[in-house]
Amino acid sequence: MKNIIIVLFGLTMIHVASTSRIEAYVKTLALQGALLFTMVIVDNLNHFSLNFLFLIVETLGFKTIIIPWFLMKIIRKNEIYREIEPSIPSFWSMVIASLIFTFGLTLAYVSILFAQDVKPLYFGISISTMITGLFIIMSRKKIITHIMGYMMFENGIFLFTLSLINEMPLIVNLGVLLDVFIGIYLFGLFFNKIQSTYEKTHIDTLTYLKD
Amino acid sequence: MIPLLFLYPVITSVILFFIKSKPLNIAVLFGYSVLHLICSVWLFVSPSGYSAYFKVDSLNILFLILLAVVFFGVSIYNIQFSRNSQEIPQRHTRYTICFLLFICSMTGAILSTNIGLFWVFIEATTLTSAPLIFFDRTKSSLEAAWKYIFICSIGISLAFVGIILISMGSTSLNSLFFADLYNNSTKLNPFWLKLAFPFILIGFGTKMGLAPVHAWLPDAHSEAPSPVSAMLSGALLNCAMLGIIRIYKLMETSGLIFYGKTLLLVMGFTSMLVSAVYIIKIKNYKRMLAYSSIENMGIISIAISIGGAGLFAAMLHIFAHSLAKAAFFLTSGNIIHRFKTKEIDNVHGLLANDKVTAWIWVLCFLCITGFPPFPMFLSKFFIIKEMYSSGNFIVLALFILFLTVIMAGMSVAVFKMFFSVEHHHHKQIPEKSIFDLCGYLPQCVFILILLVTGIYMPGLINRLILYSSKF
Repeated sequence: MKNIIIVLFGLTMIHVASTSRIEAYVKTLALQGALLFTMVIVDNLNHFSLNFLFLIVETLGFKTIIIPWFLMKIIRKNEIYREIEPSIPSFWSMVIASLIFTFGLTLAYVSILFAQDVKPLYFGISISTMITGLFIIMSRKKIITHIMGYMMFENGIFLFTLSLINEMPLIVNLGVLLDVFIGIYLFGLFFNKIQSTYEKTHIDTLTYLKD
Repeated sequence: MIPLLFLYPVITSVILFFIKSKPLNIAVLFGYSVLHLICSVWLFVSPSGYSAYFKVDSLNILFLILLAVVFFGVSIYNIQFSRNSQEIPQRHTRYTICFLLFICSMTGAILSTNIGLFWVFIEATTLTSAPLIFFDRTKSSLEAAWKYIFICSIGISLAFVGIILISMGSTSLNSLFFADLYNNSTKLNPFWLKLAFPFILIGFGTKMGLAPVHAWLPDAHSEAPSPVSAMLSGALLNCAMLGIIRIYKLMETSGLIFYGKTLLLVMGFTSMLVSAVYIIKIKNYKRMLAYSSIENMGIISIAISIGGAGLFAAMLHIFAHSLAKAAFFLTSGNIIHRFKTKEIDNVHGLLANDKVTAWIWVLCFLCITGFPPFPMFLSKFFIIKEMYSSGNFIVLALFILFLTVIMAGMSVAVFKMFFSVEHHHHKQIPEKSIFDLCGYLPQCVFILILLVTGIYMPGLINRLILYSSKF
């Protein structure tokens, strides 16, 4: 059951890499949130605790509902629908994402040789998700896509911490602090500091400072 | 003592938020700097801890004292800066509150004994300093703040991945306290440590300004108001450095020292290369100082990685760089105020216009490039000596080459500003003697401290640096 969820999680990243519609990114983020929520439920079905409740709020409330809803609101308000002129065409970006997953899973299965306690599927998919998130940040040009790329990167980290939930619950809670950054970004975009100063939310306009 | 350092900024921030008065802001910030200095000296004389999470040890006391001294100087400069700034009280209050919390989070990062807690405080420094960079509310400062927060947040996330990997290697230990990790370092799985170190190095290295993940640094340092630039360069970079040193020690105790050394050396030389390339054709003098910070962080990384006498040199270099760079940035603030430009070519006749600033500017330059008798000469000399005695001649040659190029680039810029003849058709230059003493005093004191340390190192400072180099 858990393995199926993790694989589905990985597939969402390949889907994102191949699309240029902004709304598809938001929907994928919501789906990832839902998948993480299911993971938390499956993991903790037997022992209920305060930490469990906190994780439910984080995954279901924050990652699945509030952030995607807020993102949609920003997108509609600013009328940005498509990632125009990505640095790399969608097809190649999907190929690269697939290669990243091949690399991640290979790394994970090789690492069994050195560390017996590793959970290869967790490790492989989460590392690949992080790298794909960074790849999306690098290859796309809109600020909002950058933020969503960062969120996917952070979802990868969250998945990674879930593999440690029984040994070190503290780590999972620390990871949630990364969401503070996302809050700040969205806050900044929504209350349109960036928006009003730069007419388009496009990083090509962020070139005033250079050498 | 330690709770006081955290309680004061939090309580005063709440008070300032409701009162919003400029003189009160200045007084509160100055009060915190005095308190910080007293507490830090007290903690140096009688080291103590607060709960298991905050503790003074032989390594972090150097960083704490440096933070306190730089902050004290900056808060004096801030009196002059705030009086000259035209900001409305509301914005000035926000600036002061962010400044207080920024210092508070740096103090927390320095004192924390747990890597998770350290990471949280480093994240807090990013959040509290971003509004400070955006203080001028111009298009370029917004761009700088955005780049700063975005690049640093990715860096901090990567550092977090590093922490997860360390904890995967220490599941049997189930603790993230540095002391526990050091004591049980042989039980840790070296595979996870090897995987974790690059993440930690890149992650905290982003914050520290090591190339190739330095992109935010020149922008943020050049766009922030000068007191903030001085704090960023003189204290924040050190905090991130402390995290790397702590994990480097973990690598050392678990027998992976060679691996750690190599990575640190590569990052250090990349930083020197990057700053040499940019500094040689630099046009903006604040960006020049920022690139010089990247260079010095690179030198410190190299010094740590070569070990031996290099460790003492690294700590001496941290000490000298913090004070010299803070003085340099504060002086750049005086120049901006007088000439209203950050372009080197637009600053004409610094010497003719403002003698004191001009001489401080040149002295800071001599400090930072390591002319004798300033302590940076000693630290660079020790590094070169250690490289020579260990037979790393290629490394030595590269090191000297980069140092020379950077010194050449900086001296062209500095002396151009110093000696260039004044053009009368240039825009109106503000009247002289606009500054009160506060605009000069901190820099003079910093340079004096450095001069004394370079000629005759007082026993107290020697002890401070020597103990910290045995981290």
